[in-house]
Amino acid sequence: MQTLASLKKSSDAYSFGFLDAFAKRELRRKILKAVAIPGYQVPYASREMPIARGWGTGGLQATLALAGPSSKVKVIDQGSDDSVNAANLRRFIARMTGCDATRDTLECTILQSRHRCPEERLKRGQVLVLQVPDPETLRSVEPNMTRARLMHADQDYGLMWLKLYEQLVRFGRFVQGASYPSLVNGRYVMSPSPIPRWDVPTLHQAQHLTILSAGREKRIYAVPPFTRVEPLEFTDEFFQVEEQSDWTCDRTGQRYKFMNEIPETDGTARHEISDTGYADKLIQKKEGEAVTLGETYYDDNGTFYHDGFLKS
Amino acid sequence: MYVAAKGGEEAIQQAERLYHDLKGKLTPEMVEQVEKGMPYLLDRIMGESSLYAPQLAALALAQAGGDTYEAVLILRAYRSTQPRLAYALPIDSNSMTVVRRISAAFKDIPGGQILGPTLDYSHRLLRLDVLDKELVAEDSGTAELQAADEPSPKQYPPVTDWQRTQKMLPELDSIENPEPADLPDLTREPIMFPTSRPHRLQALARADTGGLLALGYANMRGFGPVHPTVNEVRLSYARVQLKHPVTGTVFSVGNIRVSHAEVVQTTKASKDKVGLELGFCATFGWNEVKNIAGSMLDLAMDREDVHPAFTEEFVLYHTESVESSGFCIHLKLPHYVTFTSGMDAMKDAMMGVGMAQMPTSSKAFEKQDAKSPAPEADLETDEKVSPITAVESESETESEKEMS
Repeated sequence: MQTLASLKKSSDAYSFGFLDAFAKRELRRKILKAVAIPGYQVPYASREMPIARGWGTGGLQATLALAGPSSKVKVIDQGSDDSVNAANLRRFIARMTGCDATRDTLECTILQSRHRCPEERLKRGQVLVLQVPDPETLRSVEPNMTRARLMHADQDYGLMWLKLYEQLVRFGRFVQGASYPSLVNGRYVMSPSPIPRWDVPTLHQAQHLTILSAGREKRIYAVPPFTRVEPLEFTDEFFQVEEQSDWTCDRTGQRYKFMNEIPETDGTARHEISDTGYADKLIQKKEGEAVTLGETYYDDNGTFYHDGFLKS
Repeated sequence: MYVAAKGGEEAIQQAERLYHDLKGKLTPEMVEQVEKGMPYLLDRIMGESSLYAPQLAALALAQAGGDTYEAVLILRAYRSTQPRLAYALPIDSNSMTVVRRISAAFKDIPGGQILGPTLDYSHRLLRLDVLDKELVAEDSGTAELQAADEPSPKQYPPVTDWQRTQKMLPELDSIENPEPADLPDLTREPIMFPTSRPHRLQALARADTGGLLALGYANMRGFGPVHPTVNEVRLSYARVQLKHPVTGTVFSVGNIRVSHAEVVQTTKASKDKVGLELGFCATFGWNEVKNIAGSMLDLAMDREDVHPAFTEEFVLYHTESVESSGFCIHLKLPHYVTFTSGMDAMKDAMMGVGMAQMPTSSKAFEKQDAKSPAPEADLETDEKVSPITAVESESETESEKEMS
């Protein structure tokens, strides 16, 4: 017999993916807007998440708004799946969605990351969600967000060019580390999030969609597939990725991948590939296991896959 | 569900267990004790969480071992996904039951100064006698409260009413009460500047008490334009009323503790703008220091050419308790990728000024392409690490040489 109780859906303490339907709707609409205006920072409400602000709540909201039951999620922090915060976010996403998690870049449908892009090329259909501490690339030249917003509207990037020029004059090179300002689709300058310069070109004319989400600052922006992402550079002074050509990975023997530098007690340092998922696969392959290695953005000679994009 | 569990995952789970182990067990009795014994702490937490629920606030506090930032985060994260079932009717501040209202602007005010419950004039002596259970001194606050001969009125006319009749303050524009559901809601929309009045007042209401206090204090001490007079401070009970969705009957869902403050300052901004300016702040719970600081900042934020620390953007962004505390502690997260990237950008610069003695034998340092020896640099990572500021002064001359 049907009773009211039997007709009632079981009530869960939280919705699928934690966020309620209104929050998901807002996020999806704002993501669509962000995709439609590449590099433009779309303000969004940004709900408080049960994770501390500044710990990936922006990326988390984007991931949870996109994830469905069949999604496969990979979460990395500094390139590592095992970093405690990546582990925690992955645990939360899995707990709230029941999604499968993976460490293999090739397998995932959503890759949420803090501070790194993977070494293996992401493909059409995959989404890279980057956690963003500070979405405003103009912050260092204009801390007032209202004025910075106007500067974007006017495409007034003079102060940014001036900052880079002053670096050249004072230091003989660009001394920007991570978060290298980049022009998206020839219109908006964006912060690619604090990924190393090594990773910035991987966003250029990529097959995958990149979503950059800043939870604390309440801004979301995107780089759609096959969109130009050009690190700011002068016609005679070029953007340069980190110089690590003499570093060899201690675990895999590989070169020309982004490396962590690990100080040793004897005053030297050793190096290992920062993308642990990729490094683990290299080791597995060496040990004769059947693993699929994807094509990488940089080949074994350190050459970037878009010919001529990186000048020297 | 498959979740790969490796070192990091196991470690964080054990770390959380250790925390709870050291903190002691979370029990319903403990939550009850916190709720009964810490009303002002609950008020503060509920205000900063924008969630009036004493029992839940007590639970959050007990669960967080008394860490207020943690407790506010837990409550806000809980609140963020709760559905909106109904909107309360606007509360007329004149209809609230006032338990305390004072004005510093006048010796006496219409309706009288009502001290109400306060520790303002108490001697802040540590009650050591309480620890000695057998000897509780008689004059230590435990003496019985004496009822007044006549009960005081529940409502009082606002001081500003009198000031408006005296033309000290401009008349209020008469506005229709907005539909509550149409009010801008800071928790469902991002804050943008200049803010709407509702957003500003909501941001102040949920701001970090300590944050508002620090900025308010800096402002009144001399770095800001405002050293106001407290026009009125009120602690009240407000009745929250809802309209039945079907019958339209208005009914009460209970009383909440609210407080607000108004400060005034004389203004001589221009010839036609002489008189008093009013600053306002209100919050859930009884929290006088927050309201006074907040109303002061409300005034300061309206000034043109104000010190940068008292602009709307500065005040409202930086007193956001969940965001400020979260970002501060995020510095505990690993940053070695950005650090590596930043150091790489500095390599040439550091070689140029003889700072090559890094704790590494990396050959990359020898490969520098010293176009220019370089001094201090503003290393741009998201956390603005600047590891070599020490070379700044000595290298200045060298870089000047290079320039000329």
